[in-house]
Amino acid sequence: MNSSWRVEILAIFRKEWRIEMRSLSGLVTAFLFSVVTVYAISFAALNTHIPPTVVSGMLWVALLFSAASSLTRTFLIEEELGTADLLRLVARPHAVFWGKALFNIFQCIVTSVLVTILFLGFTSTQVIIPWLFGVSLIAGCLSLAGAVTLCGAIASQASNRSMLAAAIAVPLLLPLVALGVSGMRVSLGEGSLSGGGSGAAIGLIGYAVATLATGPYIFAAVWKS
Amino acid sequence: MAKVLRVDRLGKKYGGRWIFRGLTFELGLGDRLVILGRNGSGKSTLLRTIAGLTQRNEGSVVLPEGDPRHTLGLSALEQSVYAQLTVEEHLEMTAELRGCPARIDELLEKIDLAYARGVLASQLSTGMKARLKIGMAIQANPMVLLLDEPGAGLDEDGRNLVSRITEEQAERGCLIVATNDPLERRLANLELQLAG
Amino acid sequence: MKTALKASFGLLTGWATIWSFTVPDVAAFQAPGFARIFLWHFPCPMLFTLLILFGAWNSVRIFQRIELKPFCFMPESDPAAKASWDIKAIACMELAYLFALLTMATGILFSQIQWGWWWSWDPRQTSFLMVLLIYAAYFAVRFAYSDPGKRAAFGAAYALAAVLPTLFLVFVFPRLPPIANMSLHPTDSILSGKIKGEYAYCVILILILFTIMAVYLYNIRVRTGLAEFELENNDAKLDAGGDTAPTGVVRPVSLSE
Repeated sequence: MNSSWRVEILAIFRKEWRIEMRSLSGLVTAFLFSVVTVYAISFAALNTHIPPTVVSGMLWVALLFSAASSLTRTFLIEEELGTADLLRLVARPHAVFWGKALFNIFQCIVTSVLVTILFLGFTSTQVIIPWLFGVSLIAGCLSLAGAVTLCGAIASQASNRSMLAAAIAVPLLLPLVALGVSGMRVSLGEGSLSGGGSGAAIGLIGYAVATLATGPYIFAAVWKS
Repeated sequence: MAKVLRVDRLGKKYGGRWIFRGLTFELGLGDRLVILGRNGSGKSTLLRTIAGLTQRNEGSVVLPEGDPRHTLGLSALEQSVYAQLTVEEHLEMTAELRGCPARIDELLEKIDLAYARGVLASQLSTGMKARLKIGMAIQANPMVLLLDEPGAGLDEDGRNLVSRITEEQAERGCLIVATNDPLERRLANLELQLAG
Repeated sequence: MKTALKASFGLLTGWATIWSFTVPDVAAFQAPGFARIFLWHFPCPMLFTLLILFGAWNSVRIFQRIELKPFCFMPESDPAAKASWDIKAIACMELAYLFALLTMATGILFSQIQWGWWWSWDPRQTSFLMVLLIYAAYFAVRFAYSDPGKRAAFGAAYALAAVLPTLFLVFVFPRLPPIANMSLHPTDSILSGKIKGEYAYCVILILILFTIMAVYLYNIRVRTGLAEFELENNDAKLDAGGDTAPTGVVRPVSLSE
């Protein structure tokens, strides 16, 4: 990684950071959506004991829809406001992808931690294997952010961009959800590490690496379309 | 005269309708081309196609050797700036992304926005935004400068700025201006009338 | 010659159909007579997988001549070549989706007959439904763009992004230990030699016939798409006035006008 690459990626990240900190619209919307989703799902459980598998599934549904609705903004907003062309003229595609993906990763982690704390609180669930829970969450956020960033870019120039971005991101992330649920249910006390927990963790990390490795190249090919 | 920009049989269509087709020209050092035409004739589309922002359907565009982030600059009417960034932050960002010196003080003086360096773009007038866009376009001293309706939203001082930019650009490379304003023909030594 | 080939294909298909009804029942299944659905079910996901991989390859070719090295800046592609690869990519994807739907349909039928439920949330059924959803989104992306260039580029991008999740869902997920233990769907029947004798020969024949049909349909679809593209580009001949398109000539500025 040479310094030019670092500078360019940080320039994009800093731009995203400044815009978000000054308007707070994206973060606030993401937080609100996440909290409402968690509340709605928890309310549906009606204070009954929920098995760990169901808790993990519900949590991942909340994370998935929260990510699909909020993280795709980073590209959609550029096209909507007409600033995408400025980036196309001055920035290299990999720098744009990584800068935005890093910001999305940050946003996803912050939102996920909040959602998780609320959800575990509402459902009175204990984490039995914290490291596995943490790996599932962090690796899941990396994959979510990478895939959703790419889907935002694919949908950004369509007329129905907001709906399309979410519609194409959710199916692509279903395998990730399957892995995430497998890992998280073991961390919440159901099943065993050797029975699939550690495999799910490895799968999540591999999914994240693959998504973030291929995403920039796919993005670079369509950035100027 | 060394050629700076070559456009060869360039064509662009939307749906089944050709906006322009078979456009061929070369521009050398010091050439200033004005593109004229009524609304919808394809002036902006031609600039965007040359800049690579719009995919062409036919032909080719040969830019000067080197990184297009440095050799090409574009200031367009429909281009927006980031409402939540200040003037200075815009110039800082574009310099970092291009990998060129920021020259913030020099540029702010040139585009007469030194007094507004810390002002958010959302608080700038239309003319000030236009100056900022021109400043970002010329930051890397590009050999090819594309200006789409440069006089739109500018007062007399702003139009004088465009004239100065045009003279400087002639010494550095070539300039293409797309305009509806007949007065801006005086900026150029060559003209292209699009008949679309 | 072509008529003879088509007639031969028809006869072979008829023979394969009759043969599929005459192979012995499989005693291990709950409804032994209906296990023969497998003969028509098995080739479909195989062809689906081959077609989506070929479609992904064609999608990569859409981006050829674009420098994909990190930090490339100004991609260039030949529009005509891009359109040609796009036609091939969509042909693959349409056929692949057809085979995916056939896989799901025959699978659901098998599920009802053998296990008593149209939909039993079997991990295989569920994972393949996810695959159907992923590729439904591919068509959503294509429908969202009216510009052919953008449609080709963004469709190709999604097709490439979808390869990894699809391969995971088709090959890895059903074989994960906790998942495999829950599933009623047979795994590795071919590799473990469970399919043998008449069943094996019949399924191979049907696979070959399906492959020939897929190639034939692919060729027709590609030829049709290329013909449509040529027709669109041939507007010079279709234009009533005989002019090609608006153009212009660069001339010196005349300030006296």
